[in-house]
Amino acid sequence: MPERSCSANLAGRFAREIELTQPQPKRASLFVTCIIDQLYPEVGVSVVRTLRRCGVEVDFPASQSCCGQPLYNSGFTQEAKRLAMRTLDVFEDADYVVVPSGSCGAMLRVFYLDLFADNPDMLPKAESLSGRVYEFTEFLAEVVGVEEAGGEESGPAQTVAYHPSCHLLREMEVRDAPLRLLESAPRVELADLPDAEQCCGFGGTFAVKYPHISEEMLADKIESILASGADTVTACDMGCLMHIRGAVSRRNLPVAVKHVAQVLDGARDGESG
Amino acid sequence: MAEVATREFVPASQAAVQDTQLRQALRRAGSGFDGTRREAIAEVTPEVWEGWREQARRIKEHTIAHLDYYLAMLEKNVTAAGGRVHFAADAQQANAIVSEIARNAGVRTVTKSKSMVSEELGLNHVLEALGIDVFETDLGEYIIQLAEETPSHLVAPALHKTRGQVAQLFAEKLGVPYSDDIEEMARVARIVLRQKFLDADMGVSGANFLVAETGSLVIITNEGNGRLCTSAPRIHVGLAGMEKVIPSLQDLAVFLRLLPRSATGQRITSYMSMVTGPRRPGDEDGPEEFHLVIVDNGRSRLLQDPALRESLYCIRCGACLNVCPVYQRIGGHAYGWVYPGPIGSIVTPGLVGVAQAKDLPNASTLCGACRDACPVQINIPRMLLHLRHQQAESSDYNQRTASDTDALLARGFASVMSSPWLLKLGRAASRAMAGPLAKDGKIGQSRLPLLSRWTRARDLPIPPARTFRDVWRDELSRGRG
Amino acid sequence: MGIPSDDFLAMVRGALGREDAPPVEPYAPLLDDLAALESQAAAVRERIAGELPGLMTQVADTAALRGWNVARCAGVEDALDYVVSLAGRLGATSVARSEQEVFGAMPVDSALAGVGALCWPAVYEGAESRASVRRRLEECAMGITGADYAVAETGSVIVLPRRGLSRLVSVVPPVHVAVVRPQDIVGTLDDLFALRRLEFYRNGAEGGGDMGSYLNFITGPSRTADIEQTIVVGVHGPKEVHLVMLEQE
Ligand code: SF4
Repeated sequence: MPERSCSANLAGRFAREIELTQPQPKRASLFVTCIIDQLYPEVGVSVVRTLRRCGVEVDFPASQSCCGQPLYNSGFTQEAKRLAMRTLDVFEDADYVVVPSGSCGAMLRVFYLDLFADNPDMLPKAESLSGRVYEFTEFLAEVVGVEEAGGEESGPAQTVAYHPSCHLLREMEVRDAPLRLLESAPRVELADLPDAEQCCGFGGTFAVKYPHISEEMLADKIESILASGADTVTACDMGCLMHIRGAVSRRNLPVAVKHVAQVLDGARDGESG
Repeated sequence: MAEVATREFVPASQAAVQDTQLRQALRRAGSGFDGTRREAIAEVTPEVWEGWREQARRIKEHTIAHLDYYLAMLEKNVTAAGGRVHFAADAQQANAIVSEIARNAGVRTVTKSKSMVSEELGLNHVLEALGIDVFETDLGEYIIQLAEETPSHLVAPALHKTRGQVAQLFAEKLGVPYSDDIEEMARVARIVLRQKFLDADMGVSGANFLVAETGSLVIITNEGNGRLCTSAPRIHVGLAGMEKVIPSLQDLAVFLRLLPRSATGQRITSYMSMVTGPRRPGDEDGPEEFHLVIVDNGRSRLLQDPALRESLYCIRCGACLNVCPVYQRIGGHAYGWVYPGPIGSIVTPGLVGVAQAKDLPNASTLCGACRDACPVQINIPRMLLHLRHQQAESSDYNQRTASDTDALLARGFASVMSSPWLLKLGRAASRAMAGPLAKDGKIGQSRLPLLSRWTRARDLPIPPARTFRDVWRDELSRGRG
Repeated sequence: MGIPSDDFLAMVRGALGREDAPPVEPYAPLLDDLAALESQAAAVRERIAGELPGLMTQVADTAALRGWNVARCAGVEDALDYVVSLAGRLGATSVARSEQEVFGAMPVDSALAGVGALCWPAVYEGAESRASVRRRLEECAMGITGADYAVAETGSVIVLPRRGLSRLVSVVPPVHVAVVRPQDIVGTLDDLFALRRLEFYRNGAEGGGDMGSYLNFITGPSRTADIEQTIVVGVHGPKEVHLVMLEQE
């Protein structure tokens, strides 16, 4: 499928800006997250394509691994530190670290500071990283200043329900960026998701430690998605989306589950570009 | 101390999610309280609301950091006003103090206004064992006393009961004709309890705040029962956790703004009563004796740990319960002790011991809704993480309650994620294992031990042939997509 | 029974990781001396005097929102008419009241007697025991008190029980009438507590203070929502409350 480098008017505007102010293209180091790396590579592809379409130079340091959040959340901070130190090293020189996940983004931006609070050697590194970490949509909207990130005008028309994942909303405090980008995307109609800010019940190990509670929360989220009338549900976190997709698939519901990058990239459910 | 059933969290919460009446009650209450709370907050500007929260937080921070100083000031001023302050290190001491006061004064009947500390102490049973009649007078507390239950919410103790259940209870226990008309039920309670107020020798109340500067006890109510309990009997005993003190009368204003709005969405409650010592000579009425019992009962453990200290800033508004997706599914009783919900998951392990309440810090998705709602900005998720950390890695063996399997899994995960080789190996293994389990490219319901807990209601993807890093290396790194 | 306060405080101190007794940082509000409080109170009074007409309207509006029946009365005559017609509507034969200054200028006893209601001061006199006053209170149709303060911010009336003012007049009868004079009105909770603090320090001897034994802060009728979050008014306190505002005394 042919791909345009950016939506036309944006490309134009970008070109003009270059003429006027000659900004350097932003250079983003992608922290792809282990869940996307291992289970959803196509999401990573959409992330890269979207960033590039918006004029961002993307780099993927291959020695990256997991941010350590699953360990940190279950109290195993010693083990979490092992992975955190690695992450700090890998991104030591990055201008911007872009993370297509509110949850892993929060780990890098917020929880590393706690993790190394009483480690004077590591804390400055954690603080430096914290200031350079952006969630994917936040980066596009706030740093690059993108107003339209949508790609394929020929992609399928979609009615999209956006689920604001908890850590994105309450730890990274990213509220509007994904909505603004989704709204601007061609052939995307935003549906109103009832009780949108309610947790989907994933919570990492919570989902398997207390499945009876997690499933109740998930069932309510699914109900809200169906009530919204959307044909697609999206979010900025593959953890939550894996959880939601698990139920959508189990119940054979006619709802596509996509990362925001996939919606912006015009990808069909489960496809990469 | 009140019975501790925190070990039963899993079966209790499993039963709770099946209980449709409970679910109905929780839905109504959750959306009701939270809706009015949001409306009340929307009435003032965000700057004003955040300003109040910050001010309240600063007051609490300062007071708790100098708690010894303010407790001493409080004691001095209560005494100067003619009252007596008693200090109790634990529940047993507190119960003994109240029993002794009652015995000395020949008390036969006690009326009580709502007190969570009293629930924590299990005081009613202790007094009843002395042959004293004890009557809860807050309607919600009265209902659960009749039902011989414990509160399921910080501000609405009988939240879990439907009107039909209350009507049934009144008919059985009070011998009144069955009526599920709520107004009628409130009228019945008024009539029954009015006589008790007038008969009682001793009134027991909790305390929302204690003002060190003036030696005053402040209670905030809607029904008027608090006013009667503190005015009619000849003895008034106030029970308070030691964290309830605030320095100055001036500090009260911001809490009167925050508490009702956060609790029920009211701009202000019907009543605020401030009690300073017993009746003065010449007063028309009021108790002849005023006692204030200050209770530790485990709070110093929370105080001692800088990471948990802020749990003592709690003003028991219940907002965190009303927004908590877990509390909203399982209700208060499943938490197994007096303080449910997010703040209960911090306070309960602190008060009954971490080892007793293993599940509580874990039974949360860390969604953070509680912190956003909290009028004193208590960072509950952060404290849950701290407790999990203690469970996993504490040097105190008693606190180490995370299972060996968890520890092994954690170490294994960290090793795999730190080594590209192991990761590749692990991935190949999991793809090989997933093969036979998978159908249509995903794993459906499985009976394997850990897997089954996910796949009960959710399908699981199988790892695709290529990882993202493969795709990057082969395609993306070279060009522009 | 319990433990001595010194031990308790030492334990608290230990938990805080301190050995010494005194606090480190001074706390601003507690540094106020009588002169500072007097000037604060004077500033509050002055501001209120300047805003009074607006504050009276705010009291009336907010109180109405919080469930008071508000009657703005041009003077004592109007107020008496209101109380008399209320008593008539209730079919009251017995009305309890406090003994407060405001009733010197507002003769409720004689006005109510005109419609056959006995209005009596709820005070313990001589042989009359506590029990019998209580019994009479139980039976009367309404209780009338003055107000020590009325707060515009919250629509609340503050009553300070003392000699002549039983704690029970405003809570036991099913109807409570509070009479508010212009000089009772304050703007905010902060105003109220600034004024109370001054009184507290003024009343005490030698640096200490006296609050009086009780402060009653009343906002609307008694209510509960303890069954299915359905609001019912008139549980243990009055079902109906009236705020009679004298525009001038
Ligand atoms: S923790 Fe905060 S929100 Fe929860 S009850 Fe306490 S004060 Fe209210």
